Amino acid sequence: MILLEVTSPGNVSLVLFFGTIGMLALTIGLIVFIIFHQRKVIRYQQKLQRMEQDQQKLLLNASIRLQEEERQRIAADLHDDAGPLLATARLYLNENLVNLDKTTQLQSIYNAKQIIDDTIQLIRNISHSLMPPTLKNFGLESAVNDLFQKISGSGSMNASSRFHDYRERLQAENELIIFRVIQELVNNILKHSNASFIHLTQNTSGDKFFIRLHHDGRGITQNDFNKLNKSNVGLGLKNIQSRLKVLHGKIFFEKDMSQTYYKVTIELVKEEEDKLQEQD
Amino acid sequence: MLPRIALLSEILPIIFYLIFLKRNRGQGLWVIFLYCILSFLTEPFYHILGANIPQYYVYSSFTIIEFTLFSLFFYTSLHEKKFKYIPLICAVIFYVVAITNFKKRSDNPFDSLPASVEAILVISYCILLLYEQMKDPTVGLVYNTKKFWVIIAFLLYFSATLFLFLYTGTLSEEQRSSYWPINNFFEILKNILFCVSFIMKKHYNNPYAMDNFEP
Repeated sequence: MILLEVTSPGNVSLVLFFGTIGMLALTIGLIVFIIFHQRKVIRYQQKLQRMEQDQQKLLLNASIRLQEEERQRIAADLHDDAGPLLATARLYLNENLVNLDKTTQLQSIYNAKQIIDDTIQLIRNISHSLMPPTLKNFGLESAVNDLFQKISGSGSMNASSRFHDYRERLQAENELIIFRVIQELVNNILKHSNASFIHLTQNTSGDKFFIRLHHDGRGITQNDFNKLNKSNVGLGLKNIQSRLKVLHGKIFFEKDMSQTYYKVTIELVKEEEDKLQEQD
Repeated sequence: MLPRIALLSEILPIIFYLIFLKRNRGQGLWVIFLYCILSFLTEPFYHILGANIPQYYVYSSFTIIEFTLFSLFFYTSLHEKKFKYIPLICAVIFYVVAITNFKKRSDNPFDSLPASVEAILVISYCILLLYEQMKDPTVGLVYNTKKFWVIIAFLLYFSATLFLFLYTGTLSEEQRSSYWPINNFFEILKNILFCVSFIMKKHYNNPYAMDNFEP
């Protein structure tokens, strides 16, 4: 109204003309801005989506390659160890058909039995490496303790584990996934870190379930982990990532505040575990 | 010529809405359809009732009903609860202005002040609705939605006519008739954009809408 009052009649045309042009320019500008801005946002979202898909593809490839490697290892174990053992046992038993001397026969049967026992042990080892019986029968805590005792027993490293709050066992499949992740982490530490000790602790906080691994060797930080995950190397780490994805879990690699130890934290949400259980 | 084309253009959205009734169902566009009928009937009413009722009252009543329909459209279109209050509050403010103005009968047949307030409020509603649509992740591209074209129609029409409505009261009859084609031209454009909105296919809220997007 003030604008109307101060505008002289001669200027009305001018104000009306420029006002209308200005308003139209503003409106068209706003519409163009909205359209282009939205296209830009969508393009960015698509880029993110594509990156996520690539990451998933990498993880999938890693898990397939790992599966193939595992199959090859089992095939090699069976072919190189169990195969010759069984062939030798067959030879000893064949000798029985040719050699009729009682003592030689007994000796060859005894040898064949020894070889078959070795083969049974070998197959048991292969089967245990596929699914540790301790894990199946007694749970994650016992399996991890068992694993750490074996490492300590070998004398190469001091390994200890402590479960603070594991009264209720997780679902068997999830225990296996966590155990495999721990195995992979421990393998990496043994292979690359030159550590003198590993210590594992488990605890819970609210609905969260934590597993922490400390070691004093050379380790990696979260940045290294992310870089390795995006590259074509670091098959084991990708495998850890894809396994944890199944549980909707997280993993953090960091250096201790004192810069002496490396710490790996696995974080799971217990509710997620329950949901997965319900889905099954 | 232009006023006649403008008047005829009013009927186009009505026809297209009825032809593509299926496409426009459940989109909240029935309010715009009512508005188009109201716009189309105002001129005949103006001529029929003009002899008995002062022109000013016809225009004022039209503005009030028109704004009520706009507020209803924006109220049904806005999804966020905090935004839904805005058309309600603005409607109250507008009614106060319109009724006060209605009582102060002017010699000029056109209700300049309520029409200008209406234009400002509708422009604000449009910006608000565009903002909400941009934030909505289920809407792939805003221009694929029917409501976007309705908003654009309102934005262009009211921003082009805001100054015209503001100054109509101060213009002489001769000046008014020389400037009024702005209103007619943008009325035609508004009706064409309404037609675009009524003709275009239904937009389904799709979280993967951007999968088919080719920049």
